Amino acid sequence: MATRTRCGLPVSTSSGAAECVDTMEEKSASYERVVYKNPSEYHYMKIHLVFENANTSMRAEDFKYLIICGLKDLYGEVGAAIPFDVLTFDQTALSAILRVFSSGLVKLWSALTLIGSYANEPCAFRVTQVSPFLLALSGNSREMEV
Amino acid sequence: MVRLKSRYLLCEVCVSERSKLQLLGERAVFQAVRAAVVKAHGQYGAALFSIGSGVTYLNAYTGVVILRFRKAYYQLLWSALPFINCIETQGQKVPCFFNCIHVGGTIRTCQKFLVRYGRQQLCRMLPHCKTEAEKQEVRRAVRSCSQSLFKVTQQERDDEDEEGS
Repeated sequence: MATRTRCGLPVSTSSGAAECVDTMEEKSASYERVVYKNPSEYHYMKIHLVFENANTSMRAEDFKYLIICGLKDLYGEVGAAIPFDVLTFDQTALSAILRVFSSGLVKLWSALTLIGSYANEPCAFRVTQVSPFLLALSGNSREMEV
Repeated sequence: MVRLKSRYLLCEVCVSERSKLQLLGERAVFQAVRAAVVKAHGQYGAALFSIGSGVTYLNAYTGVVILRFRKAYYQLLWSALPFINCIETQGQKVPCFFNCIHVGGTIRTCQKFLVRYGRQQLCRMLPHCKTEAEKQEVRRAVRSCSQSLFKVTQQERDDEDEEGS
């Protein structure tokens, strides 16, 4: 988990005389160190749907519906209510970027793994990248050309 | 050393017609709870329910049910109980509602609570009685169980005196 430290600015000494004396005594300015254990409440997943028959295509709504059906099958009504968003969807490559609350990541990922078919056609989800930061999904060292 | 711990949920089945209550059986209640868990929590819930869950006690006259779940995931399965709409028995659908009144670690604690709860319910029933005969019945029942309570406490006090002296 990433930790971020943030240093606060030194305390200003522009107030009245009494306060001036106090702040003069603690000459080294007071810094504030804030540590976040898990800075992002969302997780972003880059996924890609692979069909056995390479010619099938689907719309974005069908894609989201397929994932919700998978969640409903494995985790019931409570699972189908896990809020997630399809941020981008590429119809030709059938790849998408999903955003989900960190508490629902494990359930969503396990449901994606177990989805086997769509409209009687065998298919599988491949998860390429998962990150708590969206910026990290922009680059992928596997596809990088040096 | 390693002990399988369970949680016993003491529930009351509320039905609109008291006569339909007599039709309920343990298997019917078990199937109804299982169906609700599968609907609310899917295959994961079904798998959790299949390990160590069951109907321990069912009283068709008062509508008291004791359900047993594993301690590790009883809360997940408990959350599916409010979604039970009806129980199917002998081809009839009995609309009902599960009201959980106590959670205990053993059947004995559930029984102790049930005795106290029954006493409180009797006292609450008195203002709702419509005829004089019913009122007399309820008063007699309350007197008899408070007498037995008095005898029990008297006995406990005697035992304590004997142990002390």
